[in-house]
Amino acid sequence: MIPDLSVKIGRVKFSNPVLVASGTFGYGEEYETFFDLNRLGGVITKTITLNPREGNPPPRTCETPSGMLNSIGLANVGVKKFITEKLPFLRGLKTKVIVNVAGSSIEEYVEVVKRLEGKKGIDLLEINISCPNVKQGGITFGSDPKCAYDCIKAVRDNTSFPIIAKLSPNVADIVKIALAVEEAGADAISLINTLIGMAIDLEARKPGLANITGGLSGPAIKPVALAMVWKTAQKVKIPVIGLGGIMNTQDALEFILAGASMIQVGTGNFVDPECSVKIVEGLKGYCQEKKLKRILDLKGKLKTN
Amino acid sequence: MIQSKEEGLLLSVENLGERLFSLKIYFPPISKKALPGNFCHLRVDKSYSPLLRRAFSIHRVEKEKNSFELLFKVVGPGTKILSEKKAGEKIDLLAPLGNSFSLPGKGENAVLVAGGMGIAPLFYLVNSLLEKEVAPQKISLFFGVKKKDEYLLINEIVSTGIRLHLATEDGSSGYKGMITDLFFQELKARRLKTNRTKFFSCGPNPMLKKISEISRKFNLDCQISLENHMPCGIGACMGCVVRTVKGYKRVCKDGPVFDAREVIID
Repeated sequence: MIPDLSVKIGRVKFSNPVLVASGTFGYGEEYETFFDLNRLGGVITKTITLNPREGNPPPRTCETPSGMLNSIGLANVGVKKFITEKLPFLRGLKTKVIVNVAGSSIEEYVEVVKRLEGKKGIDLLEINISCPNVKQGGITFGSDPKCAYDCIKAVRDNTSFPIIAKLSPNVADIVKIALAVEEAGADAISLINTLIGMAIDLEARKPGLANITGGLSGPAIKPVALAMVWKTAQKVKIPVIGLGGIMNTQDALEFILAGASMIQVGTGNFVDPECSVKIVEGLKGYCQEKKLKRILDLKGKLKTN
Repeated sequence: MIQSKEEGLLLSVENLGERLFSLKIYFPPISKKALPGNFCHLRVDKSYSPLLRRAFSIHRVEKEKNSFELLFKVVGPGTKILSEKKAGEKIDLLAPLGNSFSLPGKGENAVLVAGGMGIAPLFYLVNSLLEKEVAPQKISLFFGVKKKDEYLLINEIVSTGIRLHLATEDGSSGYKGMITDLFFQELKARRLKTNRTKFFSCGPNPMLKKISEISRKFNLDCQISLENHMPCGIGACMGCVVRTVKGYKRVCKDGPVFDAREVIID
């Protein structure tokens, strides 16, 4: 028996619940020599902004215990070059393509999604209202329910693509933000983006990152991510996409148990470029072993009493 | 460049000096495709701490044995684990990665400037040049270390017959001082030809910063091999960038070899 791994978000049907997280998978083409990308549920691009961004000064990354800090600064080619130079490759894929979008103002978010509107090869948009590394950037939209609502509502009114709102964990109550973006018309929410963190080189008496603080990712943040996915999935009706330190099949299954419909592999792609596709196979194997017809039968089935 | 993700087999671990090691790894893809300047990205073990892969220059390739070698110094937990590995263990590798040195044309000279562990990719380059039948007297190597006992591979280098300029910071062998100072003096005194000559350098960042300045001053056709922390190693994460006159460039994908005149090292 082949288990059904498919998941739907909005009108889009994914063959399986495994996605690769924005910023860890380039524009897709960087990984195509490792495996057939069509084996994934979908590919999420680097964040696209209206204008090209050079990104932050180096050092941009720093390893920490079971994790890493990054402060890339949303370096990307900009929406125009994305459409002409990066989208043609993605259009050739059979897997779902999700374009991650950010802006420094609501107008910029709207302008980017307008430029992407109707473009062949795009299946969904993920709206990054949570980047910790851009001054006056996405984080401000993601840290206040009203701002998050306004941003997602403006995007909703200007795109026909299903949208995923990507939430920041650097907030007092992530559930409030989740409810606000659901109300604004998001088709799904993804969480968590990186946690703000810092490292210090004692010998040099310098911060590990030129930007001083950055975003923490990797196995170190998995417990935080699980808790936030769990809390959020209790309260929203739209699908929750879980991410944060997912390195293997067991991690992915834990997120699904906590209530996630889909998962994203981020830092795991660096450690093993085939991490995501191994999880697809692992989920299949788990369903067969446990005689589950559908992977979604496991969703939210955490035993809490 | 097509990456190969396969497991390599560790053939030997050799302790070459204080905290200095070489690993010899059986890995057929690399012996067929590797070029001087390429690097490999490996996982030191299966645990998540340390989490990320480590990048090392390819230092020697033995095509007929399907093996290659890398050199490293123990500087942290990752390299410590590597140094304690035993022959027969599997190694999770991505290789060969990155660009490679552009070799001298027919009749051109090669001048190499190595600092410490920077000898690793340049040693591979010297051997490739000799294999391509570049005459040893057309190749000069400036090699600087802190003290005499840090001279790796020196007997092998001497036996090639290339021109050798040595410097130690403590004066225990050769010129006393920085190798870049010796290199600069030779250039200034016009004892080194700069036309029809390709220059190559690898070493710690402060040294490469000097090489970069010297290359601009004398307009040298000089390629430097940079190192950096690389989360992905394949150009996806934008984490390992270096500043250049053409904007930020990824060390892993646009490099690790760059034109010394274009790189701006802070």
